[in-house]
Amino acid sequence: MTRSAPLQRRVILTRTLALGASLAAAYGGFLLFLQFGAADGLDSFDILRSALIFASTFWLAWGAITALAGLTTRPPLPPRHTGALTARTAILVPVYNEDPVATFARIAAMEASLRRTGMGHLFHFAILSDTRDDAIAARERMWFLRLLADTDGEGRIFYRRRTKNKGRKAGNIEEFIKRSGAAYDYGVILDADSLMEGATLVEMVRRMEAAPALGLLQTLPTIIHARSRFGRTMQFAGAFYSPIFARGLAMMQGRTGPFWGHNAIVRMRAFAESCALPELSGKPPFGGHIMSHDYVEAALLARAGWTVRVDDDLQGSYEEAPENIIDHAKRDRRWCQGNLQHSRLLLAPGLKPWSRFVFLQGILAYIAPVFWLAFLAASIAAPLFAPPIDYFPIESWPFPVLPVSQVSKALGLAIGVVGLLFLPKVLIVLDAALRGRVRGFGGALRATQSTLAELVLSSITAPIFLMFQTRSVLQVLRGADGGWPAQSRGDGSLTLAEAWAASHWIVTTGVVVLGAAQWFAPALVLWLLPVALPMVLAPVLIAWTSHPSRSGLFLTPTELAAAPVMDLQDAVLTRWQMVAADLPEQVADLGARPARA
Amino acid sequence: MMDLSQQEQFDLDRLAEDLGALPEAPLSMPVQALESPLTQSVFNLFRLRLHLPEPKAGH
Repeated sequence: MTRSAPLQRRVILTRTLALGASLAAAYGGFLLFLQFGAADGLDSFDILRSALIFASTFWLAWGAITALAGLTTRPPLPPRHTGALTARTAILVPVYNEDPVATFARIAAMEASLRRTGMGHLFHFAILSDTRDDAIAARERMWFLRLLADTDGEGRIFYRRRTKNKGRKAGNIEEFIKRSGAAYDYGVILDADSLMEGATLVEMVRRMEAAPALGLLQTLPTIIHARSRFGRTMQFAGAFYSPIFARGLAMMQGRTGPFWGHNAIVRMRAFAESCALPELSGKPPFGGHIMSHDYVEAALLARAGWTVRVDDDLQGSYEEAPENIIDHAKRDRRWCQGNLQHSRLLLAPGLKPWSRFVFLQGILAYIAPVFWLAFLAASIAAPLFAPPIDYFPIESWPFPVLPVSQVSKALGLAIGVVGLLFLPKVLIVLDAALRGRVRGFGGALRATQSTLAELVLSSITAPIFLMFQTRSVLQVLRGADGGWPAQSRGDGSLTLAEAWAASHWIVTTGVVVLGAAQWFAPALVLWLLPVALPMVLAPVLIAWTSHPSRSGLFLTPTELAAAPVMDLQDAVLTRWQMVAADLPEQVADLGARPARA
Repeated sequence: MMDLSQQEQFDLDRLAEDLGALPEAPLSMPVQALESPLTQSVFNLFRLRLHLPEPKAGH
């Protein structure tokens, strides 16, 4: 209590400052735009656009202040159990139509990494298959036997396939806990593409052991194995910026931290007591099973009095990510639906206020692009509804009175918005240079170049994401299913034709926006070019960014020196690819052994 | 007469099932309440106001 009380005060102070500063920035943006819009007479469009600027600026400022909180605060070192460990942990690997060779090679690597710690006997793996494709399921069983043979993992590595995937991933884990949960103190929840160092897994258990009220401990997974231009940009951004944002988030969330669905450890009893999710009344997308279950499980743990924490200092936690914009947008479509569904839970009984606020943030993250687009549309339409300028407002004055130009206000607002977008990243580069963190990114010069390149690339692709997110929101509100025409190949690269098929509607929108602006508000064309031009060029950008990157930019620590568990994974994959043809004979040897009781 | 390759596949599947069986150690997981009459009323009102359509079949 003596330790947590000051920490809680810091958390409340950080939240208050962040909220206050974000509201102040939003109000500043609102006022600036209102003055700009009122220069030729105030109308309802000016008020609407100012309100949209308020909401959008608030969201931008919130992100920037999270980074500032991460740069200026250092959470205290978490307590850890240093004695002998006896707790048993199940590592849960839910799979759903994934390539079993790649997934099981990761399990073999983690198993080998755990053995190196001398604690491997305390960890079991459970492969929880929800695979619907029978051919893939047959391969899963085959490669499971190979995994057992390779690791001598009988009795420590389990495999089961559900006949019905009720509740999807959350239901898959729930089914495991109902059947086997009492055998374990902790559960590490992974995704099929997760990879974690054995030492990290052991350290997570030590931290759970030292904090009996800790219900869930989340790590910050680092993206690895990216190959495309888009993938490597995301990988760099994740490795370079995310630790700072995560620390800021940790300082604001305190005991009501996040769960991102994977690469986290849960106290089995706490999770079982608190996290069985109900089906929401009504039909999808707002009813039915809860899609983004992780945020809800974190909120439910907090509701039951358990601490949920993210420890940004935990290294050795990895994941893989989409290699192109289309795959990213597909995933984002799912997340969009999940986050908008959380609007049903804003008033759920008993939740902590911060949990409700986290739901609101998730909703805002998807609604904000719609606000920006609405702002653009309102700006193009505004001249149609603006009252004519009265050059002779004073009856007895014979000379015209010209309206005072308020362009400086618009420029100030634009600079403020750009500053909110770029300043956190610039500060992160400076911080990394001062602390020597740039070494892992190729040095100060290379890290700076990579940051600048990332800023350019993310600015160019932002309008494309804005369009995909807006479409997702509209689809969810219509209750429509999100179909996607383009299919990426194994390496994620897309042809121009595939990119066109997925984004021609963005091109059309871009052309219409520019045409409408030229027709109704020619003065706006130049301002709109940074948004409309990338929309017109969307297929080219999508295809180009999906191709392999050979640039020296975007170096990350795991590219410069692969993590030990990544080396283990590579070794397993190489070995398995060599023996793939002889697999049935090799696994048949297992049949001679007596089956486990 | 059963095809030999099918038989082998069947044996491997049985083997995977036997060796992969999860430990039987049940733990109860009570379903949590996330909706109250208030939240349901708000949702119903929202649906009525927006005239949200039913999703496509198979969604």
